[in-house]
Amino acid sequence: MPDIIEGPPEADDPRPSWPSRLMWFALLALGGLAATAAVAYALRAMLGL
Amino acid sequence: MENLDALVLARLQFAFTIAFHIIFPSFTIGLASFLAVCEGLWLTTRREVFRNLYLFWVKVFAISFGMGVVSGVVMSYQLGTNWSVFSQVSAPVIGPLFAFEVLTAFFLEASFLGIMLFGWKKVGPGLHFTSTVLVAIGTLISAFWIISANSWMQAPAGYAVLPDGTLTATDWWAVVFNPTFPVRLAHMALAAFLTTALAVGGASAWVLLRDRDQPESRMALRMAIGMFAIVAPLQLVVGHASGEIVRDHQPLKLAAIEAYWETRADQPQSLVGIPDRDAAKTHGEIAIPGIGNPIQGVSRDTVLKGLDAWPREDWPVVWLVYWAFRVMVGLGLAMIGLGLWGAWCCWRKGPEANRLFLMSSVFMAPMGFVAVIAGWIVAEVGRQPWVIYGVLRTKDAVSPVGAGQVSASLLAFMVIYAIVFSAGALYILRLLNRGPAPHEEAPTQEDRAPGTPLAAAPDEEAP
Repeated sequence: MPDIIEGPPEADDPRPSWPSRLMWFALLALGGLAATAAVAYALRAMLGL
Repeated sequence: MENLDALVLARLQFAFTIAFHIIFPSFTIGLASFLAVCEGLWLTTRREVFRNLYLFWVKVFAISFGMGVVSGVVMSYQLGTNWSVFSQVSAPVIGPLFAFEVLTAFFLEASFLGIMLFGWKKVGPGLHFTSTVLVAIGTLISAFWIISANSWMQAPAGYAVLPDGTLTATDWWAVVFNPTFPVRLAHMALAAFLTTALAVGGASAWVLLRDRDQPESRMALRMAIGMFAIVAPLQLVVGHASGEIVRDHQPLKLAAIEAYWETRADQPQSLVGIPDRDAAKTHGEIAIPGIGNPIQGVSRDTVLKGLDAWPREDWPVVWLVYWAFRVMVGLGLAMIGLGLWGAWCCWRKGPEANRLFLMSSVFMAPMGFVAVIAGWIVAEVGRQPWVIYGVLRTKDAVSPVGAGQVSASLLAFMVIYAIVFSAGALYILRLLNRGPAPHEEAPTQEDRAPGTPLAAAPDEEAP
């Protein structure tokens, strides 16, 4: 089974363009934020608050 | 009587859940910084050993972080279920501190943990390192707010009591930077770094006992020794400063820590003994006369309050506070000894050449956690009978719930924790037992099956 946690790019891996890297950075950061917020709101709804 | 039982059970539940919880943040605070250092060293030196260490310890970090979050959520629920009077009275002061913790620390960690775990190839090394550093900073910001809230409960400042009995903040700077906060934050942060260094050092020593040439474990053990050789003596200094703060702001706690039964000048320094709360004396005590006051940072003719200065019903559980403090200090001294020994080993033939040192490091691996829990027992049991020192008594802070309800939730927590955290701990221990894997290189000509087209290819063309 492949590792879920991603390692660094190998020396011969193609380097993504900077807009692509920046887009992934923003996407993953906002994804993490959204996931946390979704769990928080779900818990609040479950508690009927 | 039922209310008393509910109080005892609610306290037991909080003690049980927080003792579990504190294990994880005290590990992840240090581990996040260790990962940032490993990644930074890999970026600057390009030595594979740092990359492999990062990839190994980030798995342990991810599991510990997850378990820390889950056990932390339980803590905040209990404030509502079992401690609703405390919440009602103190929410206008304590609530914003917890909210700031979520907004400034938890969201920072949660946002950038995703990049740390799943985004190295997608965002590139620079932005990935930024994410690791942000997660490390997030763990420290989290400690900032939580210790601020707890310190405010130890020495409340910047508040007023409203006619309905609830508290309101009158000076937020005084609330956040309350008198005990700065030293206690430094004490906790150093404790977290020490705990991590001992765990990393112990796990590396365990691998080196099997294979003393394992490069990642050799490097990690040296890094751990460097950390606890410097931080353990520093912790002694900060811990002493923390004790002086207790002397000034919580004299009842100090009296319990040192088993001062009598208010007097020139207190003796009790080393060991069996404190007896009912008899108000310490059985079989070994004490050094004449040094108690100087150790507390006051002259010998200064009068230090003993437990007799307070009504007996206000005394905390003296033997527990007394012994928890001695366990913490004893382990701290053992950490200083291990650091000096490790530094000496590094200077001689290397720590991996000394099996006794490796075995001692393995033995000391969990002792940072034990010291942290002992320290928190001193802080929290020593604060009794107050939940907010001098303002709100613990017995007045509990929810108006029955003992049956509290015991049912306590039982549920015990069963769930036993399953969830045993599984998590077992997985981490299995990872640690395996140790870090060296970077898999492309197979060389000798490794390939003979007689195949691949075997004939020169090394640089092989996949």
